[in-house]
Amino acid sequence: MRKKFLHGLSKLTALLSVFVLVGMSFTARVAAADEPYDTYNYDDREDLTYTPSAYEPIRSIAGNGLKYKGESIGNFVTPQDICYSDDGNLYLADTGNNRIVVLNNGMTEVVNIIDSFDNNGVKDSFKSPYGVCISEKGQLYVADSQNHRIVVLEKDGTLVRIVENPVSQSLDAGYVFVPLKVTVDYADRIYCIAQNMFEGIMVFETNGEFSGFFGTIDVKITLWEKFWKRIATKEERSKQQLYIPTEFTGIDVDADGFIYATNIDSAGVQAVRRLNPRGEDVIKKGENKNVGGDLWVNGQSQYAGASQITDVVYRNKGIYTLLDRKRGRIFTYDHEGNLLYIFGGLGTQLGTFNTPVAIEASGDTLVVLDAYRAELTVFNATQYGSLINDAIALRYDGDETLAVEKWREVLRLDENNELANTGIGKAYLTAGDNKNAMKYLKLGMDAEYYSIAFRRYRNQVLADNLSYILTGAAVIIIAVVVFVRVRNKKHGKGGEKA
Amino acid sequence: MKELFSKEKWSYFGYTLTHPMDGFYWIRHKEYGSVPIAILMVILFSISFSLNRLYASFVVNETDPRSVNSLTELAGVLVLFLLVCVGNWSITCLMDGEGRFKDIIIAVGYGITPATVGYVLATLLSRVIADNEQAFYGLVIAIGIAYAVILVLMGIMQVHNYTLGKTLITLFLTFVAVLIIIFLALLLFNLVSQVITFFKSIYLELIFR
Repeated sequence: MRKKFLHGLSKLTALLSVFVLVGMSFTARVAAADEPYDTYNYDDREDLTYTPSAYEPIRSIAGNGLKYKGESIGNFVTPQDICYSDDGNLYLADTGNNRIVVLNNGMTEVVNIIDSFDNNGVKDSFKSPYGVCISEKGQLYVADSQNHRIVVLEKDGTLVRIVENPVSQSLDAGYVFVPLKVTVDYADRIYCIAQNMFEGIMVFETNGEFSGFFGTIDVKITLWEKFWKRIATKEERSKQQLYIPTEFTGIDVDADGFIYATNIDSAGVQAVRRLNPRGEDVIKKGENKNVGGDLWVNGQSQYAGASQITDVVYRNKGIYTLLDRKRGRIFTYDHEGNLLYIFGGLGTQLGTFNTPVAIEASGDTLVVLDAYRAELTVFNATQYGSLINDAIALRYDGDETLAVEKWREVLRLDENNELANTGIGKAYLTAGDNKNAMKYLKLGMDAEYYSIAFRRYRNQVLADNLSYILTGAAVIIIAVVVFVRVRNKKHGKGGEKA
Repeated sequence: MKELFSKEKWSYFGYTLTHPMDGFYWIRHKEYGSVPIAILMVILFSISFSLNRLYASFVVNETDPRSVNSLTELAGVLVLFLLVCVGNWSITCLMDGEGRFKDIIIAVGYGITPATVGYVLATLLSRVIADNEQAFYGLVIAIGIAYAVILVLMGIMQVHNYTLGKTLITLFLTFVAVLIIIFLALLLFNLVSQVITFFKSIYLELIFR
């Protein structure tokens, strides 16, 4: 009787714990479904795999919710660019309102509004300020597009200098300089994307002199297009589209002075370049030979087609993030060109966009600017996202063993994560545990390193069992020799008998 | 059946693989060949092909195991085998080929065997090779396939009593014939399905009236 009761009790607890577990997993799923988008990645076979959410939208910030000196600052009008300064303030180019709005780190308060400055005693203002950037010295660079100049200000708004009227033989006589996006490297060289400037990024020296173009994108003409061009008449050719390079769309600079610049690649292969000081592209394209956003872009619908990357932000430790305006997605890559996570989408909910134009990052926070909705959206890394960020950062610094602990936690959340499996496998390989290295490298689909691990494992097995193998071979040889001798003898005897 | 699988047939099968010119000649002129063995060899080839895709080591194998269906592959190989044999038969009938249909089946079936062996050996080998030894794996498969191609070529040549040049021409025409057969089959399938749809719609029209 007592036994039966105990049995019943244990059954009950088991049932209860099952309920609790189901409940827990249910809440977990609900939490994951809070984001109005899927978080996914592409695996080694370029198949789409859904992953846990890497970033979640926290809130959106519109202009009319913000106050400066007690008054609402009113809605932003087609804002085009944002930039973080070293002290954590966010500078926003409120293009349609001809002003620069400075928000504090939490984006709760307006620290400053710069709409005019003192230009040699004359009050001067902006006209469609399109891009903003803060230099390492803390100076503010504004691409004042319709005034055809770049304005350099101190943080308090006093004028440092104005960069305008670039003069060069390579520029047409009637060239009108319309700067759109701007960034500054450690030596205060200005890199500027100008409207209708297909030759590349315009570079200005520290003194404001135009020094030349940078990172020109080569025009790619297919053989087929060449063929048509050849057989077309002059008249037909004049009516055809010109083969001109695509313009750059977004620009950022890393601590070493390498320029990250995005462009719209209709082939969807390379939408971002990492330009060294000589203007050569040195980006690594990773396993898939692709840094162009989505890999699955086929179809006939309005929604199909290659990603249109409009902005890039270099975060740290080689991680950079791209913003796609075609499908409103955010792609994050590491310094080897591996995709880390993809999220975001078009829509009207919090966390989706209408016309995303600019992206900035501060630690594990991403801020996206939507020009049409005139809003900032703040994303924070989830546990999954920050684990990946941390692991990549550790690996970038060479601390593979420390990264392993992070990768293990990533695997608990997403057991098919190839980067995590490969990371653990490589650490095992370094530690000399070839068998485990093989297991994880295979799960990570890294044939190259698996092969190295396998060779070491095989040679180890051979070396360990060499005595058995040699003994076995000797025994077999002796056995064969004896067998042949005996048979010959028997046959010989048989022959004698016959 | 028993005599088709008899010990003599098997030993002659082995002889043919090592002495193809002689072997295929007597397959045509004496009843030394065996159609069941030939078909068995085709089935084994298909199995070895699927095995290679499934079980070759990760070092050399990029196939997604989820995409391997050995039954579909078997059906595909058998259909292709049948198409090639029928195509070759129809061409060689018009081009003074001496071979009967069963001779063609035997020539192709026997001839394909080294490829099977190549795949099996390569699959086994792949389990023990590492990165820079991949060339050996490719070499084993290449040798197997090359030997198989030579055997099939010689087989077709001998059973029809052709010269090498004529064999190559007929093989090209066989390829064309296979395409024509596929085209006709698709056309027939399409037309028949249209006829069926037609009668089906008449039937539906009648019962809904």
